[in-house]
This record gives sequence, structure tokens and C-alpha cells, in this order.
Amino acid sequence: MSAAVNEAAHSAAHTPAGGPRPSRRPSHKGQDEAFLVVDDLSVQFPTEDGLVKAVQNVSYSLPLGRTLAIVGESGSGKSVSSMAIMGLHDPKRTIITGSISLGGEQIVGRSQDDMRKIRGQVASIIFQDPQSSLHPYFTVGWQLREAYREHHQVSKSVAHTRAIEMLDRVGIPHPKRRADQYPFEFSGGMRQRAMIAMALINDPQLIIADEPTTALDVTVQAQILDLLNDLQAEFGSAIIMITHDLAVVAEVADDVMVMYGGRAVEHGTAEQVLVRPNHPYTWGLLQSIPAVSSEQAELYPIKGNPPSLLSLPPGCSFAPRCPYVDRVPDGKCRTDLPELISRSAGDHGLSRCHLSNPDAIFAAEVEPRIA
Amino acid sequence: MESTNRAGQTPILTVRDLKMHFPVKNNEGLLGGRQIVKAVDGVDLDLYAGETLGLVGESGCGKSTLGRSIIRLTRPTAGSVLFQGTEMATIGERQLRPFRRKLQMIFQDPYGSLNPRQTVGTIIKTPLEVHGLAKGKEKERVQDLLARVGLNPEHYNRYPSEFSGGQRQRIGIARALAVEPQVIIADEPVSALDVSIQAQVINLLNALRRDLGIAFIFIAHDLGVVRHFCDRVAVMYLGKIVEYGPKHEVYERPRHPYTQALLSAAPDLNVVRGVPPKEHIRLVGDVPSPIDPPSGCRFRTRCWKAQAICAEQEPVLESRDDSAQDHRIACHFPAQLEGLTAAV
Ligand SMILES: Nc1ncnc2c1ncn2[C@@H]1O[C@H](COP(=O)(O)OP(=O)(O)OP(=O)(O)O)[C@@H](O)[C@H]1O
Ligand SMILES: Nc1ncnc2c1ncn2[C@@H]1O[C@H](COP(=O)(O)OP(=O)(O)O)[C@@H](O)[C@H]1O
Ligand code: SF4
Ligand code: SF4
Ligand SMILES: [Mg+2]
Ligand SMILES: [Mg+2]
Repeated sequence: MSAAVNEAAHSAAHTPAGGPRPSRRPSHKGQDEAFLVVDDLSVQFPTEDGLVKAVQNVSYSLPLGRTLAIVGESGSGKSVSSMAIMGLHDPKRTIITGSISLGGEQIVGRSQDDMRKIRGQVASIIFQDPQSSLHPYFTVGWQLREAYREHHQVSKSVAHTRAIEMLDRVGIPHPKRRADQYPFEFSGGMRQRAMIAMALINDPQLIIADEPTTALDVTVQAQILDLLNDLQAEFGSAIIMITHDLAVVAEVADDVMVMYGGRAVEHGTAEQVLVRPNHPYTWGLLQSIPAVSSEQAELYPIKGNPPSLLSLPPGCSFAPRCPYVDRVPDGKCRTDLPELISRSAGDHGLSRCHLSNPDAIFAAEVEPRIA
Repeated sequence: MESTNRAGQTPILTVRDLKMHFPVKNNEGLLGGRQIVKAVDGVDLDLYAGETLGLVGESGCGKSTLGRSIIRLTRPTAGSVLFQGTEMATIGERQLRPFRRKLQMIFQDPYGSLNPRQTVGTIIKTPLEVHGLAKGKEKERVQDLLARVGLNPEHYNRYPSEFSGGQRQRIGIARALAVEPQVIIADEPVSALDVSIQAQVINLLNALRRDLGIAFIFIAHDLGVVRHFCDRVAVMYLGKIVEYGPKHEVYERPRHPYTQALLSAAPDLNVVRGVPPKEHIRLVGDVPSPIDPPSGCRFRTRCWKAQAICAEQEPVLESRDDSAQDHRIACHFPAQLEGLTAAV
């Protein structure tokens, strides 16, 4: 019985997808010109143990109204790359190269003062942990009000009205009363909402959500994802959703970038990356995750552990864990770093892998299982 | 599949009306009175040899507390836990001793649950010594166990800090296995692990259940993982079980409004593969306090189907005329079967 379900899931994975769209994935997206352009970004930290190459040669662009998901396991460079966009790295301890253009403005190399103006107004970040953005000693309303006044010259009472409006907007009941409470008086889900209200109070055009729901129950997670989706539909903002949860990606993303060991290893539309992956790491992740809506007889884990960024192997970083390393001639995987390019005919994204026919290889693996 | 056919089998573990109440200080009010947190408030469960029972529900609903009181890490306030016919809930610490090793626990945090100053060998050997097992052959036994969980037996003398998260979780599993348990309660055993590592540990647990016939109570918030790993599922809300049955019943024909909401909220990888999206049921409000749960049905403050009777009468967890016999629902108005199957 489970084989039949499996078959459905897998054959769907290898035919051009059609059918109904999930309700959370919006349809209004245009392919406008890019609002954010990240070009050849590298971020390195000199430490006592050596140079940590946290992000290497990452490039992508994102138009308004679209959601890019950045996926990868912990330490793969997701947060570090996004914090560079917000100018949140300490310039004295960080080496950043490449360029980041946000609404036409160059970010790399800008002063802290400049960045303070951009943060909140042009781009905002929502962290996993509400503690990191909400101060315990001030009321939620006060904090929202001051965040607004940082970018708008208005009276306290006007800003306070705006604060209450935002709390209402993110679905906090009795916003007027809640505005006078402290963060500890809020539940986890409400704190996360308050943080989103804070990130959105100045109408930023880019919202970076760094694991915004990882610590939350699925019920609250669904509310927050819906909320972000509604806000995007309303205001047309660009969203970067950082997560390790591929199911969340499937529900919200237009585009997906998979990171491994500080590099982008696969990049394309959600459908390309999740349905017709071309990189063995992406494929491995998809094989190791049980979906909630189908029965999976067997999980196929990726062997080994993620690499240390202090001593990345030469060649492909995934080589020590890759089951296909011997399918590439001349041991090239262990010596040459593959480029991130289009690898096969048909509708696939870009991938950083030497394999010439990943499709056929992955498809051949599924068939014996469902036969 | 065989594990869902229970005819004639006796459970290895029978939990009846189990309660775990914690007295807490009341900060409000001048009297400084005491209040009671009803973390687990009347739970019935059966666990059969070699099966896996999943326990799901929102944070704070009592999953960990239930697990801890079943294996007597805390002494339950009331109720009964029969393990192979012996009442574990009430017996004294000394009589409990021989049963301790039969029921083991694995924790979420592979960092916090291992003593950083002990070698892996010592960590796994200690329970052997406590229970006087493998006398004189402790080291061989520990090395067997390391191999069994996929670690290098030569790493006997290393410290936990030298291992990755997934490897530490394997050490925790080896320690639990050392005393040859019949039941393992696994409390979010893969939640703290990287996605690429989770499947390694799940497959290991699966092999243990298959090869050693260990029964599991598996607590997890990832509903996909529970569906994959478990035979049966119990859904908890505010200290009580609201739905309980074979996993295909609960996942494909959920009847309790809370289960329906929970499943509809879970993000689904298959939506991108063309599986039709499910209707999203959005719960409003937060889980009420377990100090002062709502009268009647505890879910009624968030339930879109609540009627007057829901506030007056607590629904009983029972099977229905049109449900599978081992599918139990605690609701006055469980979803009808037609319409349900179409939704899946
Ligand atoms: N020792 C204690 N004293 C007082 N209250 C407690 C104690 N232990 C647990 N509780 C309360 O009991 C309830 C259930 O807690 P429990 O840890 O069992 O939840 P859980 O379902 O495991 O949640 P999570 O998914 O967050 O792990 C909570 O309200 C918790 O605050
Ligand atoms: N300030 C820092 N100094 C040194 N190393 C850092 C610093 N910040 C992050 N790193 C390292 O960079 C790598 C990528 O981190 P991060 O982007 O936070 O990963 P994630 O993908 O989990 O968000 C990790 O190895 C992390 O330890
Ligand atoms: S380049 Fe080689 S090692 Fe890297 S993912 Fe491709 S096949 Fe595997
Ligand atoms: S008993 Fe009433 S309130 Fe409780 S779940 Fe059923 S319909 Fe809802
Ligand atoms: Mg991060
Ligand atoms: Mg718990």
C-alpha cells in the first residue's frame, strides 16, 4: 500500500508538474526587475583557528513581490549571507567582498550610519529568537513607537497610533491593551508577531525572515507564514525566507537557493529545485525527509556530517558524503570545484556538480524502489 | 501493519487515568495561595510489544511530562501504569529498581544529556554496572553497543565534545540500549539534529525496533516524522488525549477538530509535487493555561464547532459506530466519515 503512495509521489517528482497550486503560494508574482542583486558575495571571518570562509561567491537577484528561500543545514552560511545585506557584520572582524545592490544602493562598504538608515526602512530582518529584537524592559508599544520614530519625524502619539495599527495588522487581539504590556506577558507566537510588526512598521521593501518559525508549533508557524504571505500580497515586498525545513520551502517559496559549506550548490524555482533537483545534496535531502501527506516506506539518509568551514575539502565540498563521486571521471570531484551552471536539458535550475546526467541517475534510483 | 491488529494481544504497558499535577506558587492575589498545574490530567494508553506509539501536540500540552511519569522519572499524582502486570505508579523506589532498566528514555538534547567529563565508554558502562549486567565483560559489551549504533568501537575513550550532534544522539541511544530495555520513550530524539542527520537516527531507531523488538513511545513535533516512524498516534491537548488510533486512520481520517487543525497546519513537501493543497484550518488564540483548563471539552475555546454541551460535558475518548474499533476520539461532534476521505 505504501508503495503505491510512494509511486504517486515519485512519479509526480519526475513529470512536469501541473495541478492545483497550494493556497499559500501566491500567483500574482511578476518577474520585475531585481530589487536586490547580490553579486559574487564572499564573507570571511579571521579567527584564532584560521580563516572561516562562511560564504563564498554567492550571487542571486530578487524582484519585489517574490519569495526566495535559502535552505541548508546549520552552519551552511545562510544567516551570514543575509546579515551582510543588512550590514550587520562588524567591519573590523569581517572580510566582505563582492557587491550587494538594494533598490539601486550599494551596501558593501557603507558606513554604520548609512546602514542604520537603510535598516528598518528599506530592508528588515526577523530573527528566530524574539528575545534578540524585543527588549525585556520596555513595553511592546514603546518599542514599536520608537522604531517608527527612528525613520519618521512624527509626534509620540502619532507613532503610538501607528504601533497599535501594526499590532492589529499582525493579528494581535486587543492591540491597544497589548501595546502597554511587556514582552514577557506575550506568548511565544505573540512575541513573534510583535517582532514582525516591528520589522514591518516602516514598510520595508525587503523582508529577511531568518528561521522565523523554527521554535514555534506548527499551528503558530502556519499563522506566521500566512501573515507574511498576506503582507506580501498587500505591499508587494520581496521576502528572503531562511529555513532548514523543505516543507516550509515547498509552501512559501517562488525561488530556492540551496547552500552547502558556504556555497550555493543549487538554485532555481521551487519546482525546479524540489521536483527536478540536479544536485546530489538536494536530492539527498529530499530522500531523507518524510512528508506529512504520504507514506514513506524507507528513508535514505545522507551519510557523514556537514563539513567544517575551516578546512573545506578541495574540489566539491560535498564529495566526502556524495554517493556519486565515482561516477565522475578522473576523480575530478576531489580536485576541481564545479561551477554553478545549468547542467542538463529541460527545466532545471543551476547546480554546482560535475555529473552530466543527474536526472537520469536520480530517476533510476527511484524505479527499483517502486517496482 | 501487523502491529495494528491487536486481537488477543496483551499490552506490555497499560496506562490508566494517569495524572501528573504540579503545585506552583501563585504570584497574584494577596493570599499567595497555591495553584495546581494539571500537566497530565487523566491519560489512558496501551503499548504493545515491539510497536511504536507517536505522541503529538502543541508545546506545553504535557507530552514530556507524560513520558517522564510513565517511566517514573517523576512520581505520578494519580493513576496506574502497569508494566507486564506490575503496578509501577505507586511502588516504592526499591521495588522499582529491577523495572528501571526495562524502560529507558532518550532525550532531545544530545548535548545536555551526556556528562562532558566522562568518556563515552564510562557513559555507556555506568548503567551496566548499576544493574550488574555483563559482569567482567563490560568493555566488550560497550564496544558492541557502539558498533550497534553505528559508531566506531575504538572511540571508547573519547569525550562527548569530540562528536557531532548526530553522533552524540547515537551515544545516548547506546546508553539506553545498554540495559536491554523493552520500552524506550524517545522525547524529540531528532528535533535538534540537522536535516541530513535526522534520517540516519530515525533509521537506526527503526532497525532497533525491528531487530531487538523494542517498543517505542515517540514524542515529536514533526508530523511527517511521526507518520513515517509510528504504528499508532495519540494526539494530546492540554493534558489529555483527544484522538488515538492507527496512524493511517489518524492521518487520513482525522475526526477530532484539533487533529484536523494540527494536520492542516503542517507544511507539506508534496504541495510542490502537485499534491492538492489541503484546506488550511487556522486556530485562533493560544492554548489555555493548564492551571485553569476550560470546563467540559478543553478545546472548546478554540473550536469552531463548539456547542453549549461542549462547555458542560467532558467528551469521553471512545470509538464510534462508524470508526475503526481502535480509533478513539474525544469529541461530542466528531467529523463525519464521508467528506473526510474525499479531502485526503
Ligand atoms: N515541574 C513542573 N512544575 C510546574 N509545571 C510544570 C512542571 N513540569 C512541567 N510543567 C508544566 O506542565 C505542562 C506540560 O509540560 P511538558 O513539558 O510536559 O510539555 P510538552 O508537551 O513536552 O511541551 P514541549 O513540546 O514544549 O516539549 C506545561 O504547562 C509545563 O509548564
Ligand atoms: N562572527 C563570526 N566569527 C567567526 N565565525 C562565524 C561568525 N559568524 C558566523 N560564523 C561561522 O560562519 C558559518 C556560517 O554561519 P551561519 O550563516 O550562521 O550558518 P546558518 O546557515 O546556520 O545560518 C558557521 O560556521 C559559523 O560558525
Ligand atoms: S561534483 Fe561530484 S562529489 Fe560533488 S556533488 Fe557532484 S558528483 Fe557529488
Ligand atoms: S467536544 Fe465540542 S468543543 Fe470539543 S472538540 Fe468536539 S465540537 Fe469542539
Ligand atoms: Mg542561522
Ligand atoms: Mg517536551
